[in-house]
Parts: sequence; structure tokens; C-alpha cells
Amino acid sequence: MINSLKITLSLLLPLWFLISFQTKSMAVKNINHKIVLKHPGEDIPVEVTLVEVQDSDGLPIAYFTDVESVICLEQVCKIVSVRIYWNNIGVYQKYELENGATLEKYEDDLFDPEDYKKLHTILANIDSPYKEVYLDEILTVVDEHTEDIDAVSGATALELDEKDTVPGAALTCFTLWHWVNGDIVSIIKNKTGESVSNKQLQQFLVDENETYFYIAIAELQKRKNYSKEFIDTIIKRGLKDDFLLRTAFNYLKGASVENYLYAAETLFFKGSREQKLTTTRSLINTDYKVSKGYLNNFSTQFSKLDYQEVSLLLELMQDKNPNSKVVIENVLPLLSGDFIIARRAYWFLNNETLTTKQEREIKCFYKKHKDKL
Amino acid sequence: MKKLIDLTDRSSDQWVQMGSTEKPTLIREKKISSDVVVVGGGMAGICAAVSAARNGIKVVLVQDRAVLGGNASSEIRVIVHGVTKLKSGLPERETGILEEILLLNRFCNEQHSFTVWDHVLYDFVTRESNITLMMNTQAVRSNTKDSKIESVLCWQLSTETLITLLAEQFIDCSGDGLMGATSGALYRTGREGKAEFNEKYAPDEPDGWQMGATILLSSKDMGKPMPFKAPPFTIKFDAEKTHPDRRIIPFVEGFWWVEIGSKGDIIGDAEIDRHRLMGYAYGVWDYVKNSGDFPEADNFALDWVGSLPGRRESRRFIGDYILSEPDQLSFKDFEDAVAFGGWPLDEHNPGGIENLSQPPSFWHEHFDKIYQIPFRSLYSKNISNLLFAGRNISQTHVSLSSSRVMGTCATMGQAVGTAAALCVKKEITPRELTQNHITELQEQLLRDDAFIPQRPANDTQNIANTADKIYASSTLSGDVKLLLDGVSRDENGEIHHWKSEGLDSELTFEWNDPIMLSSIEIKCDTNVKKNIMMLKNTRENEAYTTIIPPELLKSLSLELLVDGEWKNYETKDDNQRRLIKFNFDTIKISGFRIKMYETYGSENVKLFEVRCYK
Repeated sequence: MINSLKITLSLLLPLWFLISFQTKSMAVKNINHKIVLKHPGEDIPVEVTLVEVQDSDGLPIAYFTDVESVICLEQVCKIVSVRIYWNNIGVYQKYELENGATLEKYEDDLFDPEDYKKLHTILANIDSPYKEVYLDEILTVVDEHTEDIDAVSGATALELDEKDTVPGAALTCFTLWHWVNGDIVSIIKNKTGESVSNKQLQQFLVDENETYFYIAIAELQKRKNYSKEFIDTIIKRGLKDDFLLRTAFNYLKGASVENYLYAAETLFFKGSREQKLTTTRSLINTDYKVSKGYLNNFSTQFSKLDYQEVSLLLELMQDKNPNSKVVIENVLPLLSGDFIIARRAYWFLNNETLTTKQEREIKCFYKKHKDKL
Repeated sequence: MKKLIDLTDRSSDQWVQMGSTEKPTLIREKKISSDVVVVGGGMAGICAAVSAARNGIKVVLVQDRAVLGGNASSEIRVIVHGVTKLKSGLPERETGILEEILLLNRFCNEQHSFTVWDHVLYDFVTRESNITLMMNTQAVRSNTKDSKIESVLCWQLSTETLITLLAEQFIDCSGDGLMGATSGALYRTGREGKAEFNEKYAPDEPDGWQMGATILLSSKDMGKPMPFKAPPFTIKFDAEKTHPDRRIIPFVEGFWWVEIGSKGDIIGDAEIDRHRLMGYAYGVWDYVKNSGDFPEADNFALDWVGSLPGRRESRRFIGDYILSEPDQLSFKDFEDAVAFGGWPLDEHNPGGIENLSQPPSFWHEHFDKIYQIPFRSLYSKNISNLLFAGRNISQTHVSLSSSRVMGTCATMGQAVGTAAALCVKKEITPRELTQNHITELQEQLLRDDAFIPQRPANDTQNIANTADKIYASSTLSGDVKLLLDGVSRDENGEIHHWKSEGLDSELTFEWNDPIMLSSIEIKCDTNVKKNIMMLKNTRENEAYTTIIPPELLKSLSLELLVDGEWKNYETKDDNQRRLIKFNFDTIKISGFRIKMYETYGSENVKLFEVRCYK
């Protein structure tokens, strides 16, 4: 594999242009984490030291680690130590070489400045073709087609668009891309979650970047923290961003019954269509015992709901609040509205225990619409 | 019927059965009637036979070998390429019947065994009750009257039987096209000159060159040094003189460029060429093993060597339209489009390995999207009931350099099989079908999960779009309305799907006025942007998956809304198809609900189409 026959080169030329590391001046503490990672270029998991950089408030602001980029062809391998930087949610930021070091291409060609920039772009692309390239594809190509290593056609040879690779340095791109975008990303997210205070988690929950929300939710679940303060923040976020509702409810279902029901009610009554549908589905699926009074309150909203919302809410009532006088009273007016909603209401009422007057109403509906039922 | 040799004459046959004084009368002649005869059991022929049979007519499928699959069979082992690689590097899989076959192979042949693949195909064909399969049988002569084939005479090698097949429509998917040729159907061979079709990659003047046939081989690592001694018929490979595109590495799966072309009678020379091809194949292997240039091959030994060359080109029939290079490169929009291709213009050099200085293929151009193939290229200009699919269709040599690959041939096969069924039912010719019923043919193909680029389905029988309410329990991307837009894949960067957010998920169709329904058909995702054909050496990458497509819907159920109550009609726990059908006795419903529980790995389910029929 790529670690065979390593020969360390003397590293002479500092070529890498540094991207300014804005958080550097704020950093006050570095914490070393020994972690074990799998890399597709290595036979066995590799231990590396991941350094967490915290600011004066203990907030992780960046991570970095030193890895070896191996340029290894035929009988000659070269190792260059590369420092990779991520932000606190595992998004790659930049790479640096040891002072004086330089990257090389096959056959001793040096990286030119454009190659360094391009490598940065490749590493920053989480959907790079290198995600699914195999080591032996690179080695095979390099071995056989020295003049054209990244643009060879054939059944198993590596073919990469020039924009996706540094020609002549596919192995370097491959090795570094997997360090940058591999398992370490989720490890960084976990470490960040573990390091931050509850107050910082509150900030995460409202951050525009939803990755912080996901980290905070995962961490709160780990901490089994379901305080009202967090729940209120999550409700607010759920009202604002539909797409976070599933994650939010995944958390909320671990809260106490009181807090869960409070959150569900708030999201349903204050929310729009997606909040109503997601809440109703959650209530259908919850194992918590839900009181009739609580559900009756939901039935006051029938007249304001569209067909899908009505249908789902009726399913909830059928399942968890059958034969409620309040619900029946609130559903009866639907018989005179939009037909498809009326028909859904009719079939719901048909299975409920009704008063004589109510029975008459639905019979009347039946007579009028029996051909369309 | 004219017979040069009376193959039924058994007067000299002295059969003596031991233990019996009887001398049985050897009857070696049969006459079989059907609606359609398909000659050739390769990918095109299989798709033609199955599509015709599923469209309700009786089919005889004639295959001259002991296995199905043609060039893809274990006898030859060519990869079922189709639109496997556009300029983007990604495929645009064919879907339709071929998709079913490839998925079935994934379920039954995870080990990628070619001999198992043969029987996956055998299983796929023999499960169709409308197909009579005749193996080891060659169609040798057509009996034609008034430009119409009345019957075809076949010789079944294994039973020494002369078989006469009578049918309404005949489909030649044999590649070489002997049945069509003996019917008097017009055809051509060789290369057109530039001027005839304005083809930039054609030679200046027409000539007889046809791309060659190939013998493949494969080898395996034995874990110890394996010497190799070349057999006497070996022809030395002159590596010094060869064009560098004849690459030796990777050597494990053989060399597609071990190929001999012909500028004359490529069929008549086949046995001579086979012997030479075997010599060349062993010659290249001898070079790998004994030149000293490939120490990595020291432990490798031949595991399989083909004996039957895979032929790329011979006859090309003349239809009402001749597909040509400009049609493909300009992505010409055909009113009668029924199939598609997108393999590069992969014209192999004249002569193959005997023309070492030139590259084995010119790879003239890659396509950035798929092109249409018109129905008028799939039936004979002068024989009124002869259709064809595969490499023998009506096209130029340069056009063939792209369309000859088997995935593309399969799309043609499904088209002609479906067309033949319509012709039989309507008692018309393929030409009349083009003139008067082409929309019906296209709609049937699209319903059956074939794909026609830039041609959305608009099936008037499908009543899904009359639903008053269509909604999903969740939507991560796309829209439920896109399930009705007639396009069964995301095409040219445009979304045509609905995708759930997580599973379980539900999709509901409801009507104000109850409807009568007997069929619901769903097209789910299998990720047509990744190849799944069988390869000798598989690996997961951006353009290929080694596993069952994780997007494929595995478990789902159908509920019908009857009298205000959702009733479970059927649950499928082990779906293996992209096109999922629920058929039932006609019932009055107000709605239906598809509940989806599990895929083969994806977190969400993606659908492209929902149809329903009375």
C-alpha cells in the first residue's frame, strides 16, 4: 500500500500561500484528541492526533491535524506532512505544508502555484470524484500511462475531468481528499458538541447554518437535557424552518409528556401547514397518553385546515379520541363545505356515536351524495 | 418450398434400437404456427420476444446456440454496454425490459458468473407463457411470397429436426440476418462514403470494411508463478509496432482489441477468422506472460478463452429510414422515435489487430446526451412483415459504431416486439403502424417503462391525472405533481420525481367522484445514472454500483379507499422491479394510497410515475 517504501525528502521550498486563519488570534487553548481513522489508502486504521482549538469561552473554533501525503510510485515514495484545518462543524478550511515543504507530481515535477490552489478547491469539494475512486485505479494508471495519467480511457482505468484533479498528482489528491472528508468530519462534529456549554448550545440552535442545529440536538439528546428553555428555542426554530421539524420532533419525543404536548400544541396552533401535518403525525405515533381534552382543542381548527390536514387530524381523532362530543360538533360543519372534505368528515362521523339529530344530518348528507361516496 | 437438400429424407437412416426388433420411424419435421417469430436470442431478441409476449400474442423465439444472450452470453462475454458513459462520465440506463433483466441478475447472480447469467436470461424468457423457446435452432431460409414472409425454415441441431415456423410478423434479431437476407430484404454491408449521408467520420469513398469480431479471454491469480507455453497456432503480437491504445493493463479481463475486420464476406470467412483470432488472443497472452515486461502477470493463468468470436458488424438491412451519423450528433427529433442510444461513435479501425499502426478504435465522439432511434429504421423497406432490432438495423456504418452495443439493441428489441404485437392485433404492416398508429406504439412502450428521449408519455387511458387530491406524507425533493408529467426519469437536469423525507411514507390519490379501477402502476427509482450491468471485475464508483440499487423500493402496500375506509389490497415485501404493478378485479374506489416502507438501502424513496387504469 501507499506507506510502503517511504523515503522522506528534505523539504526545501515554502510554496503554499496561506489562507488567513482568522480565528488564530482568538485561540487560547489547544486540546489534543487521539483518534483512530480508516483511510481507503491504508490497510489498517490509523491513529492521528486531532487538535481542537478553543477560544477563551471554551468554544471550539477550529480543528487541525497533521497527515502524511504520500507520493508513491513504483519503487519510490515520498512523504510530505500536511496540516489540514477544519472549522468547528467539520468543514474543511485550508491546508498547510511544513515550512519549506513542497508537493510534487509524478516524475519529479513540482506543484506550481495554480496546482496548490486547485488542490484546495478539490479538497473543499465534498462531492469530488475522489470520493469513489479506488487506490489501485490511480496506481494502475500512473504505472502504465505516465504521460497521461489522469485522462486515460479504458474499462478500469481512472478517468477524471481535468477540473477535478491535479494532473500528475492523483495520488496526492486522493490521499488528502479522504483525510479531509472522511470519518473525521463526524468526529469533529461530535467533539464540538461535547465541548460546548449549554449556553453555547442555545446559540447553536438558532444559528443560520442548520449543521449547528443538528449538532445541538444530538448533544442535547446525549445529555438528556429537555429543559423548557431548550424546548422553547427548538419550537421557535421549528416554526421558522420546516425542514428541521423531523429532527426537532425526534428530540421532543424524548421530553416529558408535559413538555412534549406543550411543544406539539404550540407548533400546531402557531405553525403553518407543515407544522400542523408533522405535529399531527407525531401525535398519531406517540406512545404518550394524550387526554381527550387536549385533542378536543385541536378539533377547533378543522374549519381552517386543508384536505390533507383534515384527513390526518381525523385519523388522529379516530385513533386516539373516538366518540368525542366536542370533536363531532366541530366536524359536523365540514359536511356543508368542500365536497372531498365533507365526504371524509361523513365517513368519520359514520363511525362515531352520534345523537339522533346528528344521525339525521349525516343521513341527509348520504342521501344527497350517495352516488359519490 | 425449394429445398436444395431434403433434410427430412430419412430413407437411408438405419436406426437400430437394441433390445427391440422395432425400427422406429424417425419423424424429424415440425410445423409450428404463432403470431410472431423472433430470430436471435441475444439481448435484442429477448426483449423483442418478451415485449411481444407480454402484449398478448404468441411468440416463437429461435436461438441458434445452447444459451441465450448472444454476444453477452458466457460463450462470448461482451459487456452489455448501452448508454453507459456520456460525456459527463455517467450513464443513462435504458430501463424497460432490459432494466428488469439487469435487476433480476443482481438478485440472482451477485457473484457475476457468466454461466449463471445465461440461466438468468433463460429464466427470464421461459417464465413468459406466450413464448415458445427453441434453442440450438437456426433459421436458415425464409419462404416469401408477394414481398411477405410466410414461413421460415429452421434446423434444430440438437434434434436433427427441420422446423417450419409460420407467423404474421417476423423479427430478425440475429445480428447476421440470415432469415431477413433469404427473404429478399434489401441490405448493405461495409462503409458508406462521406457524401451519401454527409457523415464527417465516413471515408471519402464507400468501401467494404466492416468492424471485426473479437475473441475475449480472462485470467486469474493462482497465488504462485504460472508458466505459459503458447500453443502452435499462436500468432505473435508485435508490441513494438502497435498503437499505444492497445493497452495490456489491465490484462485480467482480456483484450477487446483482439479483433479481425473484413472488407469482404465477413460471414463466409468466419471460421478462418476464428482460427486466426484464437492465434492472436494467445499471442497477446504470450506477450503478457513471456515478454518480461509484465512481472505482475507472473502468477496469472488463463481462466477462460472464448471460442466463439463476438461479431460487431455484417448485414445492415434497409428500412424506410437509414439512421446516420448526423442524426445522432444533432440529436434529431423523430416523430417515430421508439428507442435510444448514446454510446460513443466507437468505430474500430479497418482490419483490427491486423492494422496495428492505427488505434483499435477511433472514438470519434462522445455524446453529452442520448439520441433517438426511429421506428422506420426497424422494419424492412421491401418485405412487408419483417422487423429487425440489433446491429442489423437500417443505419450507416458510422451510426452502427454507436448503436451496436447491446443495451441500445435491447431498446430496439422492446420497440419491435411491441410493434409486432400491435401489427398482429390490428392486422397491419409495420409501415402502416408508423403511418397511423405510431403514438399508440410509443405510449405502450412508455407505459412498459421504455424511455424515449424528449417524448413525455401522454396516455389517454391513464386516469391518474384526473385525481382531485394528490398528496404525500412528506416531500424532500420534487413534487407529487411531477408523477403525472409523463417523464419517468430526471432528464437533462430537470426534475421529474417526488422524493419522500424518510420512510415510512405515503402517497395518496383521491377523487371527488368515485372511479372504477383495475390497475395501478408505479415507476420507482433505481438510479439510472449508475451502471448495473454484469462486469467481470466490479467495483463501486460514481458510475457503477456493485449492489442492488439502494434506491429501489423493496417493500410497499396498496390501500384502496372503499366506502370511506382504507382497505389494504396487497403488500409487496420483496419487490425487485422498477415498474411495479398492482392488478385487480375492477373495483369502485374514491382513492388509493401507496404506503412505502423500505428501499434496498436509501433513506428516502423516490418515484417517477404513478399511473392507474380502468
